[in-house]
Amino acid sequence: MSAPEATRSTECIERTIDVRGLATHLFEAGDPTSPPLLYLHGMLTANTWLDYHKALAQNFHIFAPDIPGFGLTERPAWMRDMSDYVLYFRDLLDTLQLEKPFIIGHSVGGWMAAEIAVWYPERVGKLVLANALGLRVKGTPMPDIFALSPEDIIGTCFENMMAAFPLMPAEMSVDYMFAQYKQFASLASLLWNPGYDPRLEQRLVHVSSPTLVLWGERDRLVSPIYGETYHRLIANSQLVTLTSTGHMPMFEQTEAWSAAITQFLSQEMVNA
Amino acid sequence: MNTLTFHYHHMMSWPYVPEDFDTKYDSAWVTVPNSLYDPEKGHELYNRYFAEIERADQLGWDSVIVPEHHQNISSTIPSPNIMGAILTQRIKRAKIGIIGNSLPLHADPLRVAEEIAMLDVISGGRIISGFVRGIGMEYFNYSINPNLSRELMNEAHDLIIQAWSRPGPFAFEGEHFNYRYVNIWPRPIQQPHPPIWLPGSVSFETIDTAARHHYPYMSVFMPTEQRKMAYGLYRRLAEEKYGYEAPPEQLGFCAPIFIGETDEKAMKEAEQYIAWFFNTAFFKVRPQYVSPPGYFSDQSALNMLKSGAGEQMLSKKSIKDLIDTGVVIVGSVDTVIEKLAYHCNDLHAGMIVNLTRIGAMPDEMVQQQQELMAKYVMPHFRAQPAAAESQPVEIRSL
Repeated sequence: MSAPEATRSTECIERTIDVRGLATHLFEAGDPTSPPLLYLHGMLTANTWLDYHKALAQNFHIFAPDIPGFGLTERPAWMRDMSDYVLYFRDLLDTLQLEKPFIIGHSVGGWMAAEIAVWYPERVGKLVLANALGLRVKGTPMPDIFALSPEDIIGTCFENMMAAFPLMPAEMSVDYMFAQYKQFASLASLLWNPGYDPRLEQRLVHVSSPTLVLWGERDRLVSPIYGETYHRLIANSQLVTLTSTGHMPMFEQTEAWSAAITQFLSQEMVNA
Repeated sequence: MNTLTFHYHHMMSWPYVPEDFDTKYDSAWVTVPNSLYDPEKGHELYNRYFAEIERADQLGWDSVIVPEHHQNISSTIPSPNIMGAILTQRIKRAKIGIIGNSLPLHADPLRVAEEIAMLDVISGGRIISGFVRGIGMEYFNYSINPNLSRELMNEAHDLIIQAWSRPGPFAFEGEHFNYRYVNIWPRPIQQPHPPIWLPGSVSFETIDTAARHHYPYMSVFMPTEQRKMAYGLYRRLAEEKYGYEAPPEQLGFCAPIFIGETDEKAMKEAEQYIAWFFNTAFFKVRPQYVSPPGYFSDQSALNMLKSGAGEQMLSKKSIKDLIDTGVVIVGSVDTVIEKLAYHCNDLHAGMIVNLTRIGAMPDEMVQQQQELMAKYVMPHFRAQPAAAESQPVEIRSL
């Protein structure tokens, strides 16, 4: 890993691209000659460009789209379950001409990243599953986020409330609440019942890329047991757990989180 | 004076909650622990409720009506078709309204078609079949994706209507429901099928569907102003979009009614029961349970956020508010008649679906209320015997 140059820009380009007819809003940043990286956001973090994105852009050519139904990317009516999303992401990779990028997915985006790696292993350079849901871990279900108030969702995701500041709306306007309603409707189409895929466990054998499973040890939304299970089921994987943080380590420990990822992605591919 | 038909609504509430219920629990739905239900008491309570409903039949109500609700204290009827089966045996004259089956909650709408057809045959064609989506809380109970609510409802409806009215066997090919052999035995007695009512709030989609199919629309626990808007919309859609004038029989409303000696006495007597029903039971809900994401169309959700209707609905209300806004009808016989007359003469409603047993009301009080209604209120709204009016005046002048 080279030392970051003082002049290296982390300014992002914000644009909307056409993915097989679906207008997709995304941020792009980093040196175009750096290795490409697709970042799939979690349930609360669409349409944001924050310090952790900038940290990753130091070393990678990062693409951070708003997943359909979140942020500024609308979800068409036909898009209603994980299979639709997986096909969409293949189209997105083609549109961005990313043959085999690194893929990081956080939370619900982590589930999507795992599915992409199951169905299109040849399109994933390396995989990072960050506090990812998707698995069924009997006896340890996720809490029902749809039964929680917005304050309780933040309270469940964050260990340090101050770190949640970038996600707080300037005001609780009707526009903001309506956007939240629509995002949660998209989330419901993926997570209402069940909030996992019981068959994913069996299918993870298809993941062939080196994988980093990265968790916050205090995650109260997706327990670290999920991380341990991913690690156990993906052959070429390593597990890194960050202490004193929960579901949102990238907000609470930006440096340690991005360093763990950068180190993993920059390693020579021993087994590849 | 226009006429009204009277329908006896029973929620079968569970009134035996502990004193500290209101402070101890944050919701009377979904997560309200079922350790608060006592099956022994429940046995006795159901049977008291049946006796009361039999009396409503004897006193002249046009129908008796039960809803479907799950995991809550305001209505212990998770299976309205089982309740309907019991009522076919105990109710000898009145129609039996199952209003209604929550279609999206059940994986197999063919079963609903079969059960209602059975009940229609057993009752000799006395079934009124309501269809509902189920309320927000019930999408938690049954883990049904609320995004699919509207289309599950529409598709189940289409299947059931076809199962009742199209000669079988035939195949049904849907998005959610697929059957190679639709061929129900028995078929319903009523032709082409039992009457269908759609209860609802002010949702445009429900009112539009009802108006399109000429189904009676029944507003539930709604302030008069909203009811007025809903009826206005229904009548306008019927006339402008579907080309007919909506008759009063297609506009119903569901409200608790309580009669006292004077308005003041009625309010005082009814207060604790009405307060319990609205504030402790029906509208005591965690806000997230009421509007699960995707349950409302984008347009309806936006309208609700703009108007603040959701918060209003869940706020605690005084009996005075409930009376003033018209959610409940409470007063002397004259006041009750006046308010019902307003609904039928000014709002063109033709059906009142009244809740008589409100919360933990004692049986004697319920019986007294039934008798007051039957004796002093109902006759005002019945068609007068034709003979009295048609006496030719000329005869006397001869």
